Amino acid sequence: MRSLFDKIWDAHVVEELPGGNALVFMDRVVAHEITTPQGAIAIEKEYGDCLYDRDRIVAVNDHVSPAKDTATAIQAQVLRTWAKRQGIRLYDIGEGGICHVIVPERGYVTPGSTVCCGDSHTCTLGAFGAFALGIGTTAQAGAMLAGCLILQRPKVMRVEVKGELHPSASAKDLALAVIAEIGFRGGTGYVLEYTGSAIDSLDMEQRMTLCNMAIEAGATTGIIAADGVTAAYLEKTQEAPSDWLFLRADRDARYAASVTIDGNAVRPLVTWGTNPGENAPIDGVVPVGAAAASLDYMDLRVGDKMSEIVLDQAFIGSCTNSRIGDLREAARVLRGKNVVIPTIITPGSQAVKRAAEREGLHEIFQDAGALWTHSSCGPCLGMSMGVLAPGMRCISSSNRNFQGRMGDGGRVHLASPAIVAASALLGRIASPADIGAPIREEALV
Amino acid sequence: MIVTGKPLPLRRANVDTDQIIPARYLTGIDTEGLGEHLFTGMAGGAELLAESPGANIVVAGENFGCGSSREHAAWALTARGFRAVIASSFARIFLENAYTNAIVPVVVPDAMIEGFARARSITIDVAKQTVQADDEAPVAFELDELRKQFILGGGFLPYLASKIDTVRAWQHAR
Repeated sequence: MRSLFDKIWDAHVVEELPGGNALVFMDRVVAHEITTPQGAIAIEKEYGDCLYDRDRIVAVNDHVSPAKDTATAIQAQVLRTWAKRQGIRLYDIGEGGICHVIVPERGYVTPGSTVCCGDSHTCTLGAFGAFALGIGTTAQAGAMLAGCLILQRPKVMRVEVKGELHPSASAKDLALAVIAEIGFRGGTGYVLEYTGSAIDSLDMEQRMTLCNMAIEAGATTGIIAADGVTAAYLEKTQEAPSDWLFLRADRDARYAASVTIDGNAVRPLVTWGTNPGENAPIDGVVPVGAAAASLDYMDLRVGDKMSEIVLDQAFIGSCTNSRIGDLREAARVLRGKNVVIPTIITPGSQAVKRAAEREGLHEIFQDAGALWTHSSCGPCLGMSMGVLAPGMRCISSSNRNFQGRMGDGGRVHLASPAIVAASALLGRIASPADIGAPIREEALV
Repeated sequence: MIVTGKPLPLRRANVDTDQIIPARYLTGIDTEGLGEHLFTGMAGGAELLAESPGANIVVAGENFGCGSSREHAAWALTARGFRAVIASSFARIFLENAYTNAIVPVVVPDAMIEGFARARSITIDVAKQTVQADDEAPVAFELDELRKQFILGGGFLPYLASKIDTVRAWQHAR
């Protein structure tokens, strides 16, 4: 009768609280430099040497890394000295990366567990069959102090993706299709439990891309039951299979809502508006009924062809699409060609960077004229390493196309790494087919 | 607790946290100075603030506070004297942050938003859970029974601290 989410929730409720709340145990707390300092300082000042269990906390300098100015240098240094003082493992510049990339990479997320972080894209980790959610700074401080969050039990929406993804479509396209299907706020109050044959056939990186964008439908998180694919990934990163809880939904599990998506029908999508639900097929047009405020901000009109939108910059990176599979996709398209607009490629972690360089991807990118950087959150949130000027239009493999997200007045079109790469070559929104790239290639080198 | 004041009539839906405070201002280790950047990420946001001197209650549409988890959005609101947000729905993380920071999250049907946006004065009775535009009839709204106490008396972290022994006992028996 229970969903996968129900089973994890039930196993972590310490106490039922008034008003339908519960005290929910957190197996892992991830702490980064932008949202941790205020809360960490507050509890240290009030409660002293007070952490519930320092071994459950992992700290990461990732958002503006290395620091770009004095203020961000202080943030990083505060996280660094706090972690040292409290005996917390810190991933700093050189060995680290984006927290949602390195947490699974370093084996900090386990099926059946709970994870929280002061970062909305923590839902990425739901790909491992974990309950993983973003929270505010004070709630994160509370989780470090008492090992728990206070949460309203979310409802569960079953999102079944049938068939299998068309070769031209990626997990990013599926993520955008899900948001378009249930609506930009359609997931609010829900956990999205992904299931179906098209989900089964995704690799772990693709599952992370899909779960990463659950928050963009307003959902508390996304979750996918762990299976053999998960186990194969975990075996490379973790030593303790006894901790893995391979839970699945019961056959007769009850869901508060259900949607079914035909995986075979998903095609490459690109956003035209100012939220991720405002997207259209790459060979389509800005649709009738498009919100006037979004069109005004994006300087587009109903009926404009997506493939004729001219671009000023391209970005491949972010916790959504910066893993080795994403970089291989980009390299497949860029190999032997030249970008015509400023193009930034930012790996999700230093480990991803090194893996890419072992395969020679960095040569392909740089030969094509793209900037190959170290790992960081970078321009995704408009803080560093490629911030947009007002009016600039960027195609990005990241997750948010909000007004001003990548820089004051900047315009963002979200798409998959392959679409971003093809667009970088033509200076307009383009698909790999437009530049004669093969649809998919198993091995690049 | 009675919150009385003037509306900031945003009216629009999907006011995300990048509009409330852009990420480029999240470079502090405290909550100083965040207020001056409030709504600078929203087209026309700064102008609306300037046209509404003394406003202390935001009035918006659906899905207020969607996007990032940044509690800076709540801190920037309180720094500018905002004590409540009236909206037809809230995003989860902002809603949690609002309670923690004693910002009253008032949910009313979409059809009522315009009335509050146009009001000269709004009165919110937190204990009784009613909201009133000018001398209109008070409208009841829902609050989370537990988190309401954090608005009325603060104490979110002390409440969690009081649970530590319970949590340790639970974990021991796990």
